[in-house]
Amino acid sequence: MSAAEKMSRRDKMEMLLPFYLNGSLEGTELEAIEEWLASDPAAMAALGEAEAEFSGTAAANEAIRPPADALSRFARALDAEAGPARAPAASSWLAQAWSRFMAVPAGVAWAAAAVLLALVVAQSFVQTGNRGGDFEIAGSEDDLAKMPFALVKFKPDAKLSDILAFLDQNQLKIAGGPTADGVFRLGVPAETAADYQKLLDLIAAQPFTEAALEGRKPADGG
Amino acid sequence: MTAAETDRALVERVAKGDRTAVRLLFMRHHARVYRFVARQTGSELMADDIANEVFLELWRQAPVFEGRSEVSTWLLGIARFKALSLLRKKKEDWIDDDDAAQVADGADTPEVVTMKEDKAAALRRFIDAMPEEHRTVIDLAYYHGQSVSEIGEVLGIPVATVKTRMFYARKKLGEALKAAGYDRGWP
Repeated sequence: MSAAEKMSRRDKMEMLLPFYLNGSLEGTELEAIEEWLASDPAAMAALGEAEAEFSGTAAANEAIRPPADALSRFARALDAEAGPARAPAASSWLAQAWSRFMAVPAGVAWAAAAVLLALVVAQSFVQTGNRGGDFEIAGSEDDLAKMPFALVKFKPDAKLSDILAFLDQNQLKIAGGPTADGVFRLGVPAETAADYQKLLDLIAAQPFTEAALEGRKPADGG
Repeated sequence: MTAAETDRALVERVAKGDRTAVRLLFMRHHARVYRFVARQTGSELMADDIANEVFLELWRQAPVFEGRSEVSTWLLGIARFKALSLLRKKKEDWIDDDDAAQVADGADTPEVVTMKEDKAAALRRFIDAMPEEHRTVIDLAYYHGQSVSEIGEVLGIPVATVKTRMFYARKKLGEALKAAGYDRGWP
């Protein structure tokens, strides 16, 4: 008889609880847990204990912070392995404008932000014939550094006016980018993980979005 | 499209030489891979090197990825293999049977220290002090959301062993909490 076969029902249920909580349990094991939870008064307390373990494990992991420059170092290692990257293929003029902007030394860059803002809004006006929104590029660097963010790539044929209107309506800020691949870092004004997810889903659902990935969630993100 | 489906689609793009796709996968999975290795090796320096290597390996192996497992499981499996290889090279005894006493040792800390902690802090301390083979199963289930069979795949062990490790990990955790004055009714 194996160790598993010698276990009591409670032991088996306790063993399966973590997998019940992470949603990966299925079939007869899932049915057994649900039946236990419905029938045994001790089961809900046991589930609460497992949830505390879940939170503790998440906190222990989230306390480990990967280096902020990991992506840039990886990109260099990838280039070293695969050869220099091709120039971005016909990326949008917005991406190119940002590339030029981000190449300017930081002090000058932030001073130039207002000029670029004016250019961007003016361009929006020319393209659409409508008045551009109050597109906010950034607050202070500190504010943006602390803000939850998402990583977003726009489609090459995206209309700037659409993007500006969307950013403005949702108080999103461009906090950085684009990378050589045209990926922007968008500051997301969310205070909870749920709000963050809603905004991320909204960004991903826009017709001008090619890809939207989770960056940093608010602290309650678990 | 689910996250797992977009992961697979990105790997297909990587297989065709798309560097944007590999960078997107890096942004999506790097933090978890990094934490997984850091928790296993106890070294963030090692985690940094290995996590980078994992994604270079993704770049190299994407053409042969068959999609039989989730991309996240695949990456964790590569990370596990690389961590073990590096640790063996360094001749560090990373699975030490004596470690099994660590949880009990944690529970043996002076009572006055323990009583100052709240239960959540004690729980986290005991999880961190677990033997690596138990903590890894706990991490993979609770933090990485892996199923029993996926954990077996990442660690290269049978499903029954995953369950046994989970059982003993949680049992020892319960014992340590009980010794610290937090009886949770099991074991």
